[in-house]
Amino acid sequence: MTSELSQLKIGFIGAGNMAFGIAQGILLSGEVSPTNVIVSAPSNNHLPRFQEMELSVTHSNVEVVSFSRLVFLAVKPHFIPTVLKEIASSVTHDHIIVSMAAGVTLATLEALLPAGACVLRMMPNLPCVLQEGALLLARGSGAGQEAGLLLKNLLSPCGLVEEGPEPWIDAHTGLSGSGVAFVYLFAEALAEGAVKMGMPSSLAHRIAAQTILGAGRLLRDAGKHPAELRAEVCTPGGTTIFGLHALEKRGFRAAAMEAVEAATERARELGRK
Amino acid sequence: MSVGFIGAGQLAHALVKGFTAAGVIASHRITASSPDTDLPTVTGLRKMGVNLTTSNKETVNKSDVLFLAVKPHIIPFVLDEIGPDIEDRHLIVSCAAGVTISSIEKKLLQYRPSPKVMRCMTNTPVVVREGATVYATGTHAEVEDGKLLEQLMASVGYCTEVEEDLIDAVTGLSGSGPAYAFTAVDALADGGVKMGLPRRLAVRLGAQALLGAARMLLDSEQHPGQLKDNVCSPGGATIHALHVMESGGFRSLLINAVEASCIRTRELQYLADQEKISPAAIKKTTLDKVLRQPGVTGAGVGVRTGINLFNSSNPKQKKN
Repeated sequence: MTSELSQLKIGFIGAGNMAFGIAQGILLSGEVSPTNVIVSAPSNNHLPRFQEMELSVTHSNVEVVSFSRLVFLAVKPHFIPTVLKEIASSVTHDHIIVSMAAGVTLATLEALLPAGACVLRMMPNLPCVLQEGALLLARGSGAGQEAGLLLKNLLSPCGLVEEGPEPWIDAHTGLSGSGVAFVYLFAEALAEGAVKMGMPSSLAHRIAAQTILGAGRLLRDAGKHPAELRAEVCTPGGTTIFGLHALEKRGFRAAAMEAVEAATERARELGRK
Repeated sequence: MSVGFIGAGQLAHALVKGFTAAGVIASHRITASSPDTDLPTVTGLRKMGVNLTTSNKETVNKSDVLFLAVKPHIIPFVLDEIGPDIEDRHLIVSCAAGVTISSIEKKLLQYRPSPKVMRCMTNTPVVVREGATVYATGTHAEVEDGKLLEQLMASVGYCTEVEEDLIDAVTGLSGSGPAYAFTAVDALADGGVKMGLPRRLAVRLGAQALLGAARMLLDSEQHPGQLKDNVCSPGGATIHALHVMESGGFRSLLINAVEASCIRTRELQYLADQEKISPAAIKKTTLDKVLRQPGVTGAGVGVRTGINLFNSSNPKQKKN
């Protein structure tokens, strides 16, 4: 696998924040050489930071496809059809095309590419920009298990990488793509609670962020169920249980579930359009 | 350049007041027409030096930029009436909520090959030159037409171009927005009165608080959330009050309001596109007055039961 990664030529069509985060992650492991990575964008605006990583840059999407075996489509969803029409004739059976575009289904991608093309879809989330992302991959009909494993391996420095059937991608969007914003809302509200109780705002915000970060790490790494971890913090008759009761009284759990549901439904709707 | 208003109601009055205060056009270069000469807005326009008439045709002939400032369901009648008098120089700007550019163009194409149509959504604070206006450009309108409209509307507030499909959302937000603000100030004033302030002072302070906050936000690079934090001293009065608001679902209420207004706008547009409005839905007096104008015939404006408003394929509706 290691030698496979070091030989792999990788391209990005699109030079936005997501492409940058993924590229950074891929290079972190040290297994992929910057000389094997190329990025395209229509203008020079976003290319300098890729050049600083010693990647090749170009304005030609076709050049990215000719150079690379694995091609990430990192453009906004409404540009996908244009890009695919442009590169379709350069795509061979050796290529692995990975789309990051929200709401663009494998069926849509496959229809615009040569028959049998190896296509995968991936849904990252914002923290990919600092390699603490949650990514879900889905394989198209032309993508075998090895392509999935290769991609998973390649992306592992970006955060959590899992594979699943395409229908899970919408739920992943609702949970983790949008979930990041739900956490920010929660953080703001926690901080405001502290401000109400007498703490200055900027300190409250910093502490709220660290609280979430620390709790998140324990949740990820301690190998315990969240209910267990919660119980460990709740001393009988103590402060935490009083606070938790206030959350439960407000239907906080239902609100969180409904948030994920609403975001997932919307992702499904957008995918149908 | 001359500006005309078909319709001399609230919208026309507000725009004219704003334009003349801004000095972007002289009032004697403005013509407005309305069948009803008793409206207070008509009197107001006359006092500002605007040329008033009961003839829409006269307004068209005297104008270069023509604002359609009538209620949405009147638009088709007006278009049928003025269609033959539109010339190449005319820029038609519809301010009617929910009326699409394509429906207007479809009507006018019976009379001219390339009618220049634009659609705008503004709001009442244009009267004090703090309006929020968006506009969308029709098929035959040029870049210069957009710039001209933008110049006019920018003199009475904020103005920007958008894609037409966003206009319903704009209606929900800034079209209806002043009403949300008036309601908010009224209620804030109630709070002030409850806590002992005289009503007039409470209203004045409530309005000023909103005005000042809006000004700070528009002048600042900071997010409204940050500006909110800046006002909330730890354990102080404001954070206690904000908690009360959050408990009442304040944010969600506002989101719902914008959504409801936008959805209703779309519903109204859908109803109009169905191309059927019963005669009862149209103010009979207005229709009578439209019919009394020189050159307008019943057949010409499609008066029959079950009026088809945008039926462009009826040969009976062609004018000589």
